[in-house]
Amino acid sequence: MSLEQPHQLDVGETPEGELDYDALADLLGESVIDREEHINCEAFVIRPDDVARALSTLREEAGFDHLSCVTAQEYRDRYESIYHLKKYDDPTQELSLVVPTTRENPASQSGASVFDTANWHEREAYDLVGIEYDDHPDLRRILLPETWQGYPLSLDYNQDKPQIVPLREHVNPMETRNKGADDSDTMFLNIGPHHPATHGVLHLRTVLDGEQVVDVDPDIGYLHRCEEQMCQQSTYRHQIMPYPDRWDYISAGILNEWAYARAAEDLADLDVPEYAQVIRTMSAEMCRIAAHLLAVGTFALDIYGDFTAIFMYAITDRERIENLLEDLTGQRLMFNYLRLGGVAWDLPEPRDRYFEKVREFTDQFPDRLEEYHNLLTNNELFQMRVIDTGILPPEEAKRYGCTGPVLRGSGVDYDLRRDDPYGYYDELEWDVITDDGCDNFARARVRLEEMRQSIRIIEQCVDLLEEWPEDDRQIQSNVPRTLKPDSDTEIYRAVEGAKGELGIYIRSDGTDKPARFKIRSPAFCNLQSLEVMAEGEYVPDMVAALGSLDIVLGEVDR
Amino acid sequence: MTLLPEQIGDLLGLSGLPAEIIGGLIGATIIGSIILANAALAGPWAKRKITAAFTDRISVNKFGPWGVGIIIPDAVRLLSKELIVPEGVDRPAWDLAPLIIASSALLGFAVIPMGSLGPIEFHLADPEIGLIFVFAIASIASLGLVMAGYASNNKYSLMGGLRAVAQNLAYEIPLILVGISVVIFAGSLQMSEIVAAQAQTLVELGPVDIPMWFAILNPFAFVLFLAANVAEVGRNPFDIPEAPTEIVAGYQTEYSSVYFVLFYLGEFVHIFLGGALIATIFLGGPAGPILPGFVWFLIKIWAVFLLTQWMRSALPRVRIDQLIEIGWKGLLVGAFLNLFLTAGIVGVLAI
Repeated sequence: MSLEQPHQLDVGETPEGELDYDALADLLGESVIDREEHINCEAFVIRPDDVARALSTLREEAGFDHLSCVTAQEYRDRYESIYHLKKYDDPTQELSLVVPTTRENPASQSGASVFDTANWHEREAYDLVGIEYDDHPDLRRILLPETWQGYPLSLDYNQDKPQIVPLREHVNPMETRNKGADDSDTMFLNIGPHHPATHGVLHLRTVLDGEQVVDVDPDIGYLHRCEEQMCQQSTYRHQIMPYPDRWDYISAGILNEWAYARAAEDLADLDVPEYAQVIRTMSAEMCRIAAHLLAVGTFALDIYGDFTAIFMYAITDRERIENLLEDLTGQRLMFNYLRLGGVAWDLPEPRDRYFEKVREFTDQFPDRLEEYHNLLTNNELFQMRVIDTGILPPEEAKRYGCTGPVLRGSGVDYDLRRDDPYGYYDELEWDVITDDGCDNFARARVRLEEMRQSIRIIEQCVDLLEEWPEDDRQIQSNVPRTLKPDSDTEIYRAVEGAKGELGIYIRSDGTDKPARFKIRSPAFCNLQSLEVMAEGEYVPDMVAALGSLDIVLGEVDR
Repeated sequence: MTLLPEQIGDLLGLSGLPAEIIGGLIGATIIGSIILANAALAGPWAKRKITAAFTDRISVNKFGPWGVGIIIPDAVRLLSKELIVPEGVDRPAWDLAPLIIASSALLGFAVIPMGSLGPIEFHLADPEIGLIFVFAIASIASLGLVMAGYASNNKYSLMGGLRAVAQNLAYEIPLILVGISVVIFAGSLQMSEIVAAQAQTLVELGPVDIPMWFAILNPFAFVLFLAANVAEVGRNPFDIPEAPTEIVAGYQTEYSSVYFVLFYLGEFVHIFLGGALIATIFLGGPAGPILPGFVWFLIKIWAVFLLTQWMRSALPRVRIDQLIEIGWKGLLVGAFLNLFLTAGIVGVLAI
């Protein structure tokens, strides 16, 4: 990306940084059956038995090293898995692989041998839609209980019929996977779903050798609330927007709302007034600070082991930013502030008083940040605990589809706010923070420093808003009351959420409700990399690694 | 100096064996009540207030002066909880563990000279092996931890119990070695002798006499003992056997209601016993200007309590392997060095 390093052009890449889809189609040769036009990029229809080869060719030769998401959906006549590919170097270069299968035999080849992240994505597709993946290492349900009947997002599923899953069906979690227990002296341990360090209802099936972790298998889905299906039953214009607040509910609401807003606005070709973009940028960064504060606070909680000073300090600061957000949006957590084509309302009156409050916060926050550094990153005991534990090498991080502070803590310079600009970010001065440490310490430090950058962004936004001419303060563009995007248009768009790349896939069928609404949750993808970080480490380090991943189960399970 | 049981015996006009038994019982009741009152103040109230002060909060403030009345509803709450006995626990051991933990810490106070308040001397017994007795009694708590960890039929408890053993092994030896260095100074294991040895004047700075407290004489030993003591009572940064974010609550995971209270109580009494030991062998026991000795003694043990709470608020927990390393490679070596150092100091003073 940067001008200093001459960038070796990948196959199918033009010197201008555009993609030459014809060259890519030639690269894949006979695997490509057909080509489709999605709004975000072109899509190749791939033979279902050729997925792994196509993915690995694209990764090795065309540089598509980021499998952002796998969307599965059912049509009247077929099933489809869409592999959304990107490049970590330049996420605007996108390519989708559409893998169709027949309704009679919904099986296609798995991509998990090429991208580890496909493992969980395909399990989710199997769980919710019912597509089977050949050669998948571990194809079983991921969000729903093992005994669930049917596939909830398939067309013939009876959604009105309740299913009761009794505890006795799941009373023995040892039955499933317990590798290493036979040949060595190991102990199986259920960590969670009710455990002080799992940050919610996460269940880690762990095999321990003494205090060392031999194998860890996260069991998720305890907080699955059918968010995708609820969005599919809601109208674009009014009913979907409140849901994103409930994914990453730890105050990252506006960041999530923006993911939906961005995808839907691009899908329906809506404009957003610049003034609204500045307000969005400011409020989103406030949310990021609130989310990172909680992340750092709970990480400290995991290391310190009690609700001690750092956690309380972080909560105190988060209170201040919640107050600012409450003044702006009227809410402290479930903001529901963004609208398609803008924001819900203008800044609170009197504006001067609001700017004063925000400036008060941004002025004193760097000092608070120093205090966090003194308590955390400069603390020798803390360093002793977290440096060189929970190692996530950059290559592994990419294969696992990690994004956000987790990826940047592994030294990969990737931030959608800069690399795939939206909102007002490309007009502002700020830096992407990376750290080559690859360990728990690096991830915590990245979050701390990102807050400083967010403060810079907020300061610039406040300056802009203060001087914005009064007759040009348009907060929403004209959006039809009933929004019906064109039939059979598909889009996948992502924004930089608090935990990483939060992507939304929407397929329109011409009605006012999406035909398919898929959420690419960053925490879901990041959590899968726990096995890389934890195996071979001690239990306390696994807990620290989990804390440094900063997962929110609401977003993991959706 | 007459000990508390004798004073009570005299007061009741008894003599001989009945005086010893009855005086001893009443004396033990008094001392035990004082310690328990301190623990009651520390657990539900002081701990909250201190942590709140460290973390910019207010904490309990509605009931009684400074919220001190919270002790009563808290006690009612804790005692009225249902006692849940999990399936498959090893019954006598499971029931005995909390009793052992709570009582072992209390027993240690039998030989601690707690100073006088007016005519009353708060000191139950003064055997010649006083210091060894305290160490031995305090170590019985480890047995309780292992029993609790093993008998609970819970993997987290088992891990907590194993961690407790590993930790206590790593810390008891340096602790006792540092204690021995004090014995070299004082020339006696008897608590009253140790306190008396510290009453001498080290140097005179104008009108102020600096006493020969061993903490002043040998700060190195004092620091070692403080560190080992924190590990011994299992507080941050060494609260590894409980480590809530790792192994839920360690050995006490399966305990509820009264048994939980006993654990909780045992912990606080243990902190106070650690404080009492530090006060006795390093800080001149109940010695201090103006105020009565008993008050000074309380001030000293509460200072140690405050220190543990301070560390709890400010220090991260170390990992179990790091703790073992600190114990065996750091503190043990330090403790042996300290023995040589002490021998040197004693030699110089003797000249």
